[in-house]
Order: sequence, then C-alpha cells, then structure tokens
Amino acid sequence: MERSPVAFDQNPSGAAADFPALLRRKGLLAPAVISPMPQAVAPQKTWQPTEATTILAFKFSCGVLVAGDRRATAGNTVVYDRADKVLEIDRHSIMAIAGVPATAWEMARVLEHSFQFFRRTQLQEMSVDGKVRALSKLLRDNFGFVMQGVGVVVPIFATYDSHPKPEARLYFYDAMGAQFEATDYAATGSGSPAVRGILYYENNWGAKPLHKLSEDEAVSIALRALDTAAESDTSTGGVDRSGKIYPLIKIVSGEGIATLQEDKIAAVFKETVA
Amino acid sequence: MIEEPYRWVEAIANRREYIEAQLAPGSPIAALGYRDGILFLTVGQTRQKIFEIYDRVAMGAIGHPGDIERLRMAAIELASTEGFTRSAADVSLRRLVYYSLSPVMKSAFEHVYGPPYLARMLFAEVGEHPSEDLFLRVEYDGEIATNGATYVQARQDFAVLSGTRQSRELMEAFLKTQHAPDASFDATLNSALEAWSIGHMSLHTTDTHELPQRAAVLKYRHDQLANSGIEAALLERDASTAIRYRSLSDKELRLLIND
Repeated sequence: MERSPVAFDQNPSGAAADFPALLRRKGLLAPAVISPMPQAVAPQKTWQPTEATTILAFKFSCGVLVAGDRRATAGNTVVYDRADKVLEIDRHSIMAIAGVPATAWEMARVLEHSFQFFRRTQLQEMSVDGKVRALSKLLRDNFGFVMQGVGVVVPIFATYDSHPKPEARLYFYDAMGAQFEATDYAATGSGSPAVRGILYYENNWGAKPLHKLSEDEAVSIALRALDTAAESDTSTGGVDRSGKIYPLIKIVSGEGIATLQEDKIAAVFKETVA
Repeated sequence: MIEEPYRWVEAIANRREYIEAQLAPGSPIAALGYRDGILFLTVGQTRQKIFEIYDRVAMGAIGHPGDIERLRMAAIELASTEGFTRSAADVSLRRLVYYSLSPVMKSAFEHVYGPPYLARMLFAEVGEHPSEDLFLRVEYDGEIATNGATYVQARQDFAVLSGTRQSRELMEAFLKTQHAPDASFDATLNSALEAWSIGHMSLHTTDTHELPQRAAVLKYRHDQLANSGIEAALLERDASTAIRYRSLSDKELRLLIND
C-alpha cells in the first residue's frame, strides 16, 4: 500500500469504477496492447506457451452447465492434468477458458476484482451487460499479444440475470473480444468442433432438446462430448480412466454456482459413458 | 502569518474547533463484535453511513459526504489493489489505517492552507474468533483509537463513533457493562440499538456524565424508530465464503427488537 503526502492518488471526480484502469495507473497490470503488430520474424519454435483446451456450456432445465477438461499442454507435451479451466468469478458468474492459462487466469482475477470493486465503490451490483462487456474489453486489450503468437484466450461466460426476468445467460467470445450470446450452447478450444457437432445433434435430434435435460442427463452429455473431443484432439484430456481424473463441471442457477462433486460425476460416467 | 509557531498552533486549534462543531450533530454508529460476526448499526437519517471496504473490512463514517466519499474510495482502492496483487488474506486493516489513511489525514489537517478531511470513521475487521476482531476509529487529524487493551482499559469487542466525545463515552460506558463478545445476534442487535439511543440522546444535552434511565432510553428508542429506519450491516465470521459483508434490511431487524 502506498501513500502520498496530502491527497490520495485519485481521480478527482471519485468515479474510479474501472478496476483495470486503476491497476494500470499503479503499474500493476500490463498496458493494453491492442495495436495489431504481427510477428516480425518467423515464429520461434523453441518456446511453446502452455495452453489448455476444450470447454463447453449449455442451458438445461436447472440453469447453465459449464464443463471443461483438465489438461494443459505446451506443444505436444502434457504440462498438467488437473488444470481448472472453469473459474468462478462471483456468486452467479463463471468464466471458462480455452487458450493460454497464464493470460486467462490473470483475466479471471482482474474480472473477479473488477466486479467486487464496482459493487463496493458504486454501491450496486454491476449489470450483466456490464460484466459481459468487461471481459470483452480485457480480451481486446490483450489482442496485441495474440497477434504476436502468445496469450490467446477464447472464453465462455455464463451468468444468471435477475433483471428484468430471472434467466441464465450464456456468452462466447472470439480472441479479439467480440461477444456472442448463445441461445442453447457454446464450445471453444481445440476440441470444440467435435463438441459442437454433438451438441447440435443432441439439441435437434437427440432424445430431448438440451434445455429440457435433467441434471444427470446433462452431465452425461457433457462427459460424452468431452470424451469424444479427447478421442481426436491431443490437447484435450477428456476423462482419464486410469488416473480417475474427471472434467470439472459447474452449474449456474438462481441459487448461485454449484460445483459437482467428483464421486457424482464418476457415478454418471460409470453408468452412462464408460 | 503562520510562519510564526504560535500562529500555527492557533490556526490548528481554530481548525479543530471548527471541525468538532461540524461533526457534533453526527448520528452515532455502533459496531459490536459477537459470536457470529460484527454488527454495524445506526438509525437512519437519509444518507448511507455504513459501507463495505473489502472481504473482511467495513466502515462507518460521519462528516462531510464529499470527504467521506474520498476516504472510502481511497480505502477501497488500497485494499483492492493489495488483494489483487497478493491475496485477500494479505489485506490488513491495521496497515490500511496506520500506514495509508492516518498519515494523509494528519498532513491534510496540519496544512493550514489546504482543506482538512471533515470526517470521523470507524473501521472493523472480522477475525476467526471474537478475540481477533479489530476495531479502529480514525479522527479527522489522523488520530487512531483501537479496541486493544491499554493500561486504562481492558480489551473491548466493540467500538462506537459519535458527534461528540460525551456521547461516545456514554455509549462506551453502556456497552462495557451490557455487551459480551459471545452474545447472540438478537442480544447484540438490542444492545446496539440501546447504545445508539443513549448516544443520540446525549448529543442534545450538555455535561451529562451519567447514563440515562433505562425506561427513558427505551422510550427514546421507540420514538426514534417510529420515524426513521435502521441502517445495519454484518461482517460474518463464517469462513465458508470470502465476502463477509452483508447489509441487513430494516424489515428483517424490526422483527427481532424487544420493545
């Protein structure tokens, strides 16, 4: 904590609601690099950033289910097999990440603090639109790194909106920060083409559309989808049968966020997937 | 003029007198540590006086709204950047107040050509056990009072803030005998309301060193509550969630008042 002689380092209007701007003023966050500066020389093959992939989210009868595999890779090396890519941002919001974890976890941390900071300073909760836009801005600020071949992050954001009517909301983004609201489902990461195929098929011709699934049915489809993605994509961990490592699954509803216990996921997996 | 030492002392004394007069009508705020957390309470005028600062820290303040707002913002910014760069566990109320707020307030107060902060604040940080609760009262000149034990007083699990010294001391005298750190929420709420009533009654009287009669206090409380709302917030001791601050509504509190 720093001190200055008579006054605090503060915007005179007192309207310092933008937490990333505050961090930058104090030199605690890298400046926004948004100029499209492409790689000047051929990309160096000696260093590969750690990456992590395949996340999916869809609306079902109790809210939004968000699931992610646990594998982090650098090139063809598996760096870690218990990575958390489904991150709680506040009581009703989840950010799930595909891409470079170093950047993504930093973004999640900035986002989490931004929402708290806004509530504390402005004395009201940030609106869902404001939250969705805050993530978009962080992605946009990071675009220079993406163009340099490091730091790409493509997240999914799931939240619960109580105004004007209570409903779960689901958004996905591209690496430049464009936000898209998903009506039924979203998937990103290297294994996502297979997952999108499955979710599209299930939603249209499955036993019932995604939004009518019960919790167990939803978990079963999420596990099958991630296992399918892992079948052809080496960057996706899927379900590690021998190591008993299961994907991370969280559910956003009006009551908040519920993290499914591993034994519950294991039971559904054993019964309907394995 | 104030290059002469005597003039400087005189200027400071005038300034103190002016600020004390400005703060004198300020409605009291009580913060009471109890079994499950810390309760902040005041009886409502129109403006919000109890605020969330960080996960385990809350603040109550009286004074000029513009100055309170600047100090509140500074406290939130300092705590948030600390919590972001390190962790929430590294945000320390003691350091926030001693290292950051107090020196700035003292400097502003003593720079007689510049404006002082016209505010008196009460901060609390909830601990794992009532014995770890920290209360700090910060004056406009940067002076800090704590709830810790000193040679004149035992450790207290409460702190109060009021417009005048007399009002504050009567509230403290009441709470010293009536409040225990292991009290239930209901008992704490009623003690806080009674302490507020004693503090508010004595803002309008001069030279009272005796606590008013209990019946008079209850009647005063009853009359005040008929016209104004209760503003209250909790810092919960329950460690299952990171954010411990929760504001309480007037409606849910009225059901618990022994009247």
